[in-house]
Amino acid sequence: MFVKRLIRQGVSIHKLKTKSVPENFPKRCFQISSTQFEENKSIKIRDPFEDVKDKNKDTYLQMINIFLDRDHVYRRGHVEFIYAALKHMKDFGVHRDLEVYRSLIDVLPKGKFVPQNIIQAEFMHYPKQQQCIIDLLSQMEENHVLPDFGMEDQLLAIFGKRGYPVRRYWRMMYWMPKWKYASPFPLPDPLPKDTYELAKLAIERISNVDATNQITIYQTGDITDSVDDTWIVSGQSATQKCLLSENDPKDPVFVEGPFSVFLHGNYIYYFTLRGKARPYDNSYQDPDEVDKIEANFFTYKPPIKSIVKTPTVHEQEDGVIYAVCATGTSSKDSLLSWIRHLERDGNSVLGSLPIVFTLRTSNREIATVETEDQRREKENTQIGDR
Amino acid sequence: MNSLLGRLVCSANLANSLGKRAISTTEKLCLFWEKDDKGGYTDPLPPFTTRMKVGLSELRKEVVLWKEEFKEAFDGDPILIHRPGETDIAWRFKTEESLEKWKVVCDADHNEGYSQCSLTRNNHGNGVFSGNINLRVPKDGRVKRAGYCNMKTFAPRRSFKREAYYDWTGYNTLVMKVRGDGRTYLLNLATRGYFDMTWNDMYHYQLYTRGGPYWQIAKIPFSKFFFASKGRIQDEQRAIRLDMISAFGISAQDRHGGPFSLEIDYIGLEYDPRHVEEFAYEQYELENGLAGT
Repeated sequence: MFVKRLIRQGVSIHKLKTKSVPENFPKRCFQISSTQFEENKSIKIRDPFEDVKDKNKDTYLQMINIFLDRDHVYRRGHVEFIYAALKHMKDFGVHRDLEVYRSLIDVLPKGKFVPQNIIQAEFMHYPKQQQCIIDLLSQMEENHVLPDFGMEDQLLAIFGKRGYPVRRYWRMMYWMPKWKYASPFPLPDPLPKDTYELAKLAIERISNVDATNQITIYQTGDITDSVDDTWIVSGQSATQKCLLSENDPKDPVFVEGPFSVFLHGNYIYYFTLRGKARPYDNSYQDPDEVDKIEANFFTYKPPIKSIVKTPTVHEQEDGVIYAVCATGTSSKDSLLSWIRHLERDGNSVLGSLPIVFTLRTSNREIATVETEDQRREKENTQIGDR
Repeated sequence: MNSLLGRLVCSANLANSLGKRAISTTEKLCLFWEKDDKGGYTDPLPPFTTRMKVGLSELRKEVVLWKEEFKEAFDGDPILIHRPGETDIAWRFKTEESLEKWKVVCDADHNEGYSQCSLTRNNHGNGVFSGNINLRVPKDGRVKRAGYCNMKTFAPRRSFKREAYYDWTGYNTLVMKVRGDGRTYLLNLATRGYFDMTWNDMYHYQLYTRGGPYWQIAKIPFSKFFFASKGRIQDEQRAIRLDMISAFGISAQDRHGGPFSLEIDYIGLEYDPRHVEEFAYEQYELENGLAGT
């Protein structure tokens, strides 16, 4: 027996020695550094994931493999390793990758944590390990990663049928598909990173209220005298063109904004072309109203006068929306180009209307996609302030 | 002995110099009777004398309320027929007093986060629920995740602070006229029961908003609302009891930080005869000991 073990360990040590470990990978995991009780008395926690230079999926999986290879005889520290790995998923860009989650679960040994009797099953056998995988699953849920059936087999092999992670998995498989496509305003998954594509999505989503809507892409360069050279995503429907042509020439139209629309973590700033609110005649007489029945048997006329034109969706209580747009720079100049383009594009009435620009801030980036580093930096400064 | 004392002092110094707890703690899970229906989030009581003063002034208001109740009982004209296609307004923001029916809470109020929110009225007489969701978790070693803003109605009550419920049995659809910013909000219908286990019973459904300058009317049947307690979806689902609504609320808590704003014209109720579904989720029996444990 002893000899057997010796042979096995010898092989493993040999394997480790011959294995080529990249330079930038730390040699030891999860150890409080020896500087702990030195003069500054601050705890330095060495985090192997932090030290990796190029962070991507390959290096992440390599980290898992290194962990598995290091202690493959008496493996320990699974829970600490998984927690540390979960913390750094976003940095490596693997937080939406099912394969990575599965290989993290694979770190735990199969069969060891399966309860052997009713008492163990009832009192959460190996609670730290179970809670760790529950946290992993909740992180998956938070990132909208739907598990697959292979993960069920994994969890059953590790924790058995009565394990809490398995039950959490079943719940996720019941509820998550229900909500995946529940939104009436669907967006592609994953979202494009380009602000131009995002702006197109945003304007499409806003102007989809009207079936006759049309998204047009203008270039500011096409307008002479324009300073900026950028794109304009403009949304205007046939109904809106019609409404704009009916605008009273004395009433000005307003270019307003920027307002923001939120697409899964990205803010897109848009502008509206708005006219004065139109009075809606709400004095419709209900012919079935009981207390106003008149017995006019001989002088009855059908109530044609009381027919009221239903307002379109664009006629809101705070104004009539004539068009919406998002531009590459959100600058006043690009909006001026937008108006010029609209005028050319079948809204000749804009040439004679007074146009008022009421912009809250002139220059603003179209989208703010906060990176992880920026957030941290901000956090640190805020902590300093407090 | 000396070395032990030395180590203790050393570790105390260490903890002080860090300014935070060096030992990680685990949240306790209490499976026994809860004495506080707010789950420990109640403010401490004011001193006895102030309580007496406030209580006496409250008494007058309560008697007025009691009188009103009596009058109403004699008048007695409850809505018996809910005409299809007609929306009965439950909440609206046309007057400044209408804001008093709502309570706005975010995680920063309990020192559990850094979000901010407010409920105001704009020039057009619409309620605007806006604020900033901050996902930053305070480093107190207790809170695991943060970032929510919530508005909810105060529980309905009768005179002398007796509890009551909204009775919405005649309706089957929730109607909301809102103008959102493209975020997804969570609608909460609390059905507080008598026993401590049922204090936190709540039914939820998502409110998807389009974003942009257009109003949208969201009609959500009550059968779609799913059952949860303390924010956890329960395994054993059952249809909502519409005669036991104790509060209505809207939460902004999608896991993206940043500013949000939701403009609300009205929150109403409707009876839709075409909607016959009683409950949208499966209710078959599961194997013993797997669900609801």
